[in-house]
Amino acid sequence: MSSFLTELSRNSHAVLIAIGQHIGLSAVAILLGILVAVPVGVLLTYHTRAAKIVLGIFSVVNTIPSIVLLGFAMIFLGIGYIPATIVLFVYSLLPIMRGTYTGIKEVNPNALKAAKGMGMNRPQMLRLVQFPLAMPAIITGIRLSTIYIISWATLAAFIGGGGLGDLIWMGLQSYNFHLVLCGAVPVTILSLLVSFLLNHLIKRASRHKGKEVAT
Amino acid sequence: MVHFVNVTMAYGSHIVIDKLNLHVEEGQLVVLIGPSGCGKTTTLQLINRLIKPTEGDILVNRQNIKNVDPVELRRKVGYVIQEIGLFPHMTIKQNIEIVPRLLGWDEERKAARTEELIQLVNLDRKYLKRYPSELSGGQQQRIGLLRALAVEPPIILMDEPFGALDPITRESLQNEIVALQKRLKKTIVFVTHDMDEAIKIADRIVLMKDGKIVQAAASKELLSNPANEFVEQFIGRHRLYSGKADTVADVMSDEIVCAEKTLSLIEAVALMRHKKVPGLFVIDDTKKLQGKVSIEQIRKSELSEQDALETIGIEQICPAFENQSAREVFDRMEAEKIDALPVVDEANTVIGVVTRSSIVRSLAEVVWGNQS
Amino acid sequence: MSNILPAMLSHLRITFLGVLAAVILGLPTAAFLIRHDKLRKMLFIIVDAIQTVPSLAMLTFVMLIFGLNDTTVIVAIFLYSLFPVLRNTYVGLASVDKGTIRAGKGIGMTDLQIFSMIRFPLAAPMILTGIRLSIVSALGLATTGVFIGAGGLGMLIWRGIQTRNMGMMMSGAVPVFLLAILFEYVIGLFEKQLNKRQRRSIS
Repeated sequence: MSSFLTELSRNSHAVLIAIGQHIGLSAVAILLGILVAVPVGVLLTYHTRAAKIVLGIFSVVNTIPSIVLLGFAMIFLGIGYIPATIVLFVYSLLPIMRGTYTGIKEVNPNALKAAKGMGMNRPQMLRLVQFPLAMPAIITGIRLSTIYIISWATLAAFIGGGGLGDLIWMGLQSYNFHLVLCGAVPVTILSLLVSFLLNHLIKRASRHKGKEVAT
Repeated sequence: MVHFVNVTMAYGSHIVIDKLNLHVEEGQLVVLIGPSGCGKTTTLQLINRLIKPTEGDILVNRQNIKNVDPVELRRKVGYVIQEIGLFPHMTIKQNIEIVPRLLGWDEERKAARTEELIQLVNLDRKYLKRYPSELSGGQQQRIGLLRALAVEPPIILMDEPFGALDPITRESLQNEIVALQKRLKKTIVFVTHDMDEAIKIADRIVLMKDGKIVQAAASKELLSNPANEFVEQFIGRHRLYSGKADTVADVMSDEIVCAEKTLSLIEAVALMRHKKVPGLFVIDDTKKLQGKVSIEQIRKSELSEQDALETIGIEQICPAFENQSAREVFDRMEAEKIDALPVVDEANTVIGVVTRSSIVRSLAEVVWGNQS
Repeated sequence: MSNILPAMLSHLRITFLGVLAAVILGLPTAAFLIRHDKLRKMLFIIVDAIQTVPSLAMLTFVMLIFGLNDTTVIVAIFLYSLFPVLRNTYVGLASVDKGTIRAGKGIGMTDLQIFSMIRFPLAAPMILTGIRLSIVSALGLATTGVFIGAGGLGMLIWRGIQTRNMGMMMSGAVPVFLLAILFEYVIGLFEKQLNKRQRRSIS
């Protein structure tokens, strides 16, 4: 334990930089993911057949093990920050898309009928009724994506994505397990923190449900 | 058959059943009725020990159930509930045979018993292989009943068994239960909050309030001699038997054949056939009178059989009012050659029917007294 | 080519042992939790947190105890599988309709019979879903095991990446992918079959 702390303080600068990189890489990927997947998820609700196909393709993509996808990226896109971001971005799409899609699809039809009845048009219905009601499901999707991404960003180190994976990676190669922990402990804390934060958001967004939310 | 001796049931300081004494005789159909929270369902569940009493003794078949293993007891007491509770992962056959299976009957005996049971309610054999979700609510509850009857328990407990069914199905199941009980001579304890149901099926009605029995009597006795104001109110004044035939309420019968306006034509025809009536009174979902349709009207229409009754053009009718003079209505029915008129209250809600024969019967009762 | 089969078998062994351990521990625990709400809430927070630990970090933590070998990956898979197995089993068992349970009790089923004849068969599709999710994600995690010196198809993939040998990489990646699809499909089929039989109304 104490030797881990010594190692940590010895590398504190590197650890801080790695944390920064890790958060940066994950954040860019997840923000891009939200930017693309939420509108696509909404669009898919208008076309059930297209939804089945798109969600089907992405769930197949997401069963490809992460190192395989990273391997592909390395072979075709080369090493570095950009390929890593692209891979993470691709992985982030499915949970957010699925969350948005099912969230909106499962909005109580009576609420929609009422909205229609009082003369709302489609954009208004989306903004005032469907979106707020689907919010817990959307954030649940975002949470899932974020946790995956933080995890896979660790693996992205070996294609040059940087971040806390670098420390684990270097530690493993040099059999320096304390260095491994310098990467593993912060990334775990980061993941738990984000998960906790988003769980809190989900709870707040689902107060209208009046009961515990399934995650 | 079932004796309650000073039975008290309390959750903490909250008394649900208060020193209850009740005797259900063998072969009787006893209905427990009362406002919600009166303890009727608790009373029922005390009999098969789903609930244990705080004090007092319950004897089933002269045996104190304290000394009987609850599992053994429940297998000998049929149980039918409002939620029906068929096992969704078992076929109808497996559902019916579950208690025999629990008791370890062999295949042959189970099959023979199932055969008897399906004949009892005229169930088509094709249903045996189906799953509960493939059946309508009414059919499901029929199976629920068969499941309860499977090992020929002398006692059957029914907890609002028809509460979740539509009025028409409910009525046909009520008739079935009355017929079955006459044939099988079961002792039935039946919980309901529906007074019409109670009057229709009960040999004896036990009216409860706050965990106590307010009055226990045969339906007729209860109607003609309500013990107090509460009983009168609960029964509803229009049902009370006054011995006079002054108003429509006195002579009407509640065996009215109504159909909701959303019922499909084919169902409406089936209902008429079943009830052997040439027409139906049409109501909406709050039992407000809409008019009537006749079998000719349906036959002549070119609508598909899945169309709703309301699409056919319901004929408006002038109903009888519950506080209208019976004489007046009788005269009108004679003059206009009407066989049956629906009776409504102030809110236009259908509460019964007057037929020419029901008026004659009431008049006869006034003249010669109630002999039935 | 001759490398693929042994690698695949070792991959499957790691995956199954991990998930199996979770099922063996998870099923009785979930059954126990039906009657213990407080414990359930606590336990779910813990398994949920475990689930959140990034895979490489998890492998390195477990490695510190079990060393650089297959056992570490099996233990990690076990830990990750706890959440889907436990959660789905619990939800499956607990969401059985109250009326159905009451009917079972009312016709004289013992507690054990209510469990084995009603709760468990009705929960079976949900339980299978949990197992399916566990297996599919375990197949992926097992490839990551190569980083801490475990065997399996991850070795082929990793060697392929390091030598930029596309064929070598695919010889590991394709079987993993196909296995994932296969389990997803086959177990999914079982679930559908069970669900169809029950046709439980969606509430």
